[in-house]
Amino acid sequence: MSSSGASDGRTSAASGSLVIPGDKISTEIDGKLGHGVMKLNGSIIATKLGYVVEKGGELSVTPLHTAYFPRPGDLVLGYIEGMRANIWFIDLGAPFNAILPMSLAPMKVEFGATRDAMNVGTAILCRVQEIDESHSSVVTMKGMGLRKVNSGFVDSVAPHLVSVLSSGNEPIINKIKDSSNCRVILCANGRIWVDGEPEGIRIVRDTLAFIRENADSDKISSKVANYLNKGNGE
Amino acid sequence: MAQPLVPELLRRHLAELAERDERADGRGRWDARNLSVEVGVLERAEGSARVQMGDTIVFAGIKFQIQTPYPDRPDEGGLMTSAELRPVAGRHLEPGPPSPESIEMGRVVDRGIRESGCIDTKDLCIIAGEKVWQVIIDCFAISDDGNLFDAFALAAIAALHNSTLPGERFDVGEDRPLPVNKTPIMCSFHKVGGRFVYDANREEELGGDERIHITLGADDHVHSLQKGLKGTFTASEFAEIMDVTKQRCSELRKIIDSL
Amino acid sequence: MGYGDVQMIDENGNRVDGRKAGDIRPIEIELGVVPVADGSASVRWGTNYVIASIYGPMEAHPRKIQRQERAVLDVRYNMAPFSTTDRFRPGFNRRSREISKVTAEALESVVLLELYPRSKIRVEIEVICAEAGTRCVGLTAASLALADAGIPMTDMVVSVASGKINDVVVCDLNKEEDNYGEADLPMGVLPNTGELVFLQMDGDLSPEQFQEAWDYNMDAAMKIHVLMKEAIANKYGGES
Repeated sequence: MSSSGASDGRTSAASGSLVIPGDKISTEIDGKLGHGVMKLNGSIIATKLGYVVEKGGELSVTPLHTAYFPRPGDLVLGYIEGMRANIWFIDLGAPFNAILPMSLAPMKVEFGATRDAMNVGTAILCRVQEIDESHSSVVTMKGMGLRKVNSGFVDSVAPHLVSVLSSGNEPIINKIKDSSNCRVILCANGRIWVDGEPEGIRIVRDTLAFIRENADSDKISSKVANYLNKGNGE
Repeated sequence: MAQPLVPELLRRHLAELAERDERADGRGRWDARNLSVEVGVLERAEGSARVQMGDTIVFAGIKFQIQTPYPDRPDEGGLMTSAELRPVAGRHLEPGPPSPESIEMGRVVDRGIRESGCIDTKDLCIIAGEKVWQVIIDCFAISDDGNLFDAFALAAIAALHNSTLPGERFDVGEDRPLPVNKTPIMCSFHKVGGRFVYDANREEELGGDERIHITLGADDHVHSLQKGLKGTFTASEFAEIMDVTKQRCSELRKIIDSL
Repeated sequence: MGYGDVQMIDENGNRVDGRKAGDIRPIEIELGVVPVADGSASVRWGTNYVIASIYGPMEAHPRKIQRQERAVLDVRYNMAPFSTTDRFRPGFNRRSREISKVTAEALESVVLLELYPRSKIRVEIEVICAEAGTRCVGLTAASLALADAGIPMTDMVVSVASGKINDVVVCDLNKEEDNYGEADLPMGVLPNTGELVFLQMDGDLSPEQFQEAWDYNMDAAMKIHVLMKEAIANKYGGES
């Protein structure tokens, strides 16, 4: 564990340090608790392998790896896995499949005609409408930009990298769009839809592979910026 | 194995890539992924190898047992190959009895080794009519990202070359190296987006169609062939694959023989 | 060979492999060794070599294993055919089934299962090379793999087995000591609280010897916990 980094005396594990499940982060148990931490035996401990984050009085651990758990409002790319007379089952790469009811489809569908409208294997851009306590979700295709995807391809990054790619003043995902001149849609479940010219697609693919290889680096943002600049300079 | 979901977009995209003579990971049509081969990696095995091709990782271990020979072949030992695709190696792999896929893999790898004659079963004789060695090749997948056939076959022959007959442990003489007189190599090709490619990864296997496996021994002698899955191919497609196989087998043979 | 007949520790307290009574065998830990898994780890411990991989959380199938209020752990402990001196036949094995069960029960005591109702988490433990204490190495590797996968837990699990040879209590039995010794006490410990999630024993230990073996395990667990943190810090760096 790191021994340097900002520590205000209350915390046993400094903000920014790497922790493993069970590590004590703080003995001050009144603070707000975010993701990846819990109260146990009078302390706040980490429950996940990751980095301690203290922001606005809230303690959390940003995990190194995590699965995708749908949240209402998430834009996601899913694949139709099956259907019934009035719903489709959508694979989101999450622990549970989502359901898309007939009433939330982008086109008018007759009862029993779901298979004709959208068959198994179809890729769709949709939005998470609501979730229940077991993380099952309902998705909708009624909304701006939500549709069947008929061209391009789908790449992916681990879900915990989505925020890394989309945050900051100059998000990495925008840099990738600019460098490649492709249409790129980064979805909350880590899937990335790409469409464009072959050369641009090559840039996107290679950059994503680079990101996956360096995923655990703390300086991923600047590394990717350098990588893209090098590519453009050649 | 559970039937995996094959997205329509994947097949379409792979076909588009094939038309432009490209592959999703940027490789050329006949290019292999990064390869690493290590031998002598399993302490309890009498011979062993670890092969990594891209994100596919397998082990092969050689174990010897003593058995009585068949009456009609009193001075010949035995050879057995088994391939295990346990759930450790992939989300798509389920627990249970050996799947048809893993059985096919074991048998295809076995044929390539057996038919090449790289092991002379008479070399496995201890006392004619009473005791002979049985060679057991156990192929074991740790991470499945496609082309397990080639990974298993390569690990198996590398492990055989690395093997020692454990005479002392069984009290039948001194330990001596297992005589392996050649190096059969397997190359596998998958039809992806309408054309054959070499060393397919899992995504290509998922979105692809039929596959062909070719094992060549010394001087490009063909020792085993297998075509798997639904689909057809032409004589000229096969001839093209065979040319690539000769080249690649020669490269891999050099690597194995130099270990 | 009889119980206690084989000389395994000399008058200077040296064991067959040169260790003293309280010494642990060398351990190497690596995370992320199965690229296609959601999380994984390998542990080399003496001659032991165990790989664990994690898949999930995912929908719990078949239906009958699903629980409404929490996740279930689907644990498989298995020994590869080439892991033992005499080939280990693939297929159903009672010992492996028992170890799978007690390992699952140990891990269920630390994983925050209530966060994933109706789902399952697959824990695949493969013994690639065996040298006494494989169940301990497996449980330890599984806990590392779960951490690598981002599965939330209240603590890591460190498991080690102490025992008795020639009437002397020693820490972390090796192969000969396990075969010819007089007692074997494997434990699974939560290093931050000292609580136990796993406990088995067979052999013959007096009350004092039992306490000695217990203390050796606890002490070893703390040391191995430090090794875990070092291995993880080396891989991912200390700072974000």
